[in-house]
Amino acid sequence: MSRYQVDKLLRDIRRDNQLAARFRDDIEGVFANYKLDSEERDLLRRWEIRELYDRGVNPLLLLLAHGPAGKQMRDYGAAMNRMTVNRGG
Amino acid sequence: MAEIVAGIACSHVPFMASEENWDRLGEPERNNLRTGFQRARELLDESRPDVLITFADDHFDRCFYDNLPAFLIGVGEEVAGPAIAGFDLPQVRVPIAGELARFILREGLEGGVDFAFSEELALDHAEMAPMMHLTPRWDIPMVPIVVNAFAPPMPTLKRCFDVGGFVGACVRRWPHNMRVAFLGTGGLSHWVGPPETGKINEEFDRWFLDRLTGGRIQDITDRYARYEDLEAVAGNGGHEIRDWLAIAGAMPAWMQPRVLAYEPLKAWLTGTGIMTWSLQ
Repeated sequence: MSRYQVDKLLRDIRRDNQLAARFRDDIEGVFANYKLDSEERDLLRRWEIRELYDRGVNPLLLLLAHGPAGKQMRDYGAAMNRMTVNRGG
Repeated sequence: MAEIVAGIACSHVPFMASEENWDRLGEPERNNLRTGFQRARELLDESRPDVLITFADDHFDRCFYDNLPAFLIGVGEEVAGPAIAGFDLPQVRVPIAGELARFILREGLEGGVDFAFSEELALDHAEMAPMMHLTPRWDIPMVPIVVNAFAPPMPTLKRCFDVGGFVGACVRRWPHNMRVAFLGTGGLSHWVGPPETGKINEEFDRWFLDRLTGGRIQDITDRYARYEDLEAVAGNGGHEIRDWLAIAGAMPAWMQPRVLAYEPLKAWLTGTGIMTWSLQ
């Protein structure tokens, strides 16, 4: 696992709105610019933030990238703690 | 000779930049914190500083793992912010006290503190959110110093205290009449991003403030000599007490430390404190 390359991608989508949009719409195209192995790509595709955290990815970067990755900030804690979010209705 | 006239250490929380987030606090804690900031601002106003030296950290908005200094000093003509827009932070430009910044840089390189330096340092919410309440006119020239308190491995707590002391000594031998205030921002306990996000360790925070006001620095630096030990009790955001220790190091022995406010703010996810060092 190349923690640095994952951290770098997270930092980049936090700083670059266009890259964040590509991450949401064309994630394979974004991957081409980073040296990521198949496990990292899989975890990023599924946005498994707890798995990434457990593998040493910086948690501040995970939090900062959560919104740019297209996720709801209010769901961050549940995702990090592997809890199911039920919004009813 | 230059003179140190005031010191302030306080938490920085991006939420403190917007009134909407102040309104989310309970009334007693909001009043306590507002009063604390007001008193710190009054101290700064009464001290009439010519320069404000800041110790603050980053949030990967101006430094990253590709090039990450332990201590970085801004030496350009001005410092602008925020590095990344958001959190209702205003767009500001503040002049840098360039001669003093370069004096500290040079003294450090010749005296045992290898600062990195930048001609284009930006401000982060680490400086800006507290300064919105402390120096809202943005008119005091700065010497901004960024401390790595966010990307392990980091300089030890003792090193941060000692570097603060070195900068304080530089100021006192700066051969110009100048009134200098210090601001350090960060902490106290908080977890930002890990599974414990939102947790606050009030017991640690109060222990830290008690040791700091009592001058028992070694209790802190010995107990948490390894960053993993500090992170376990104060969270990954708790590393920012490095900025408080740097200020404590810079303060002359005759300056009186005082805690103005502390609140374990659940709504802001942070143990939030304000402390000053003054001549009275």
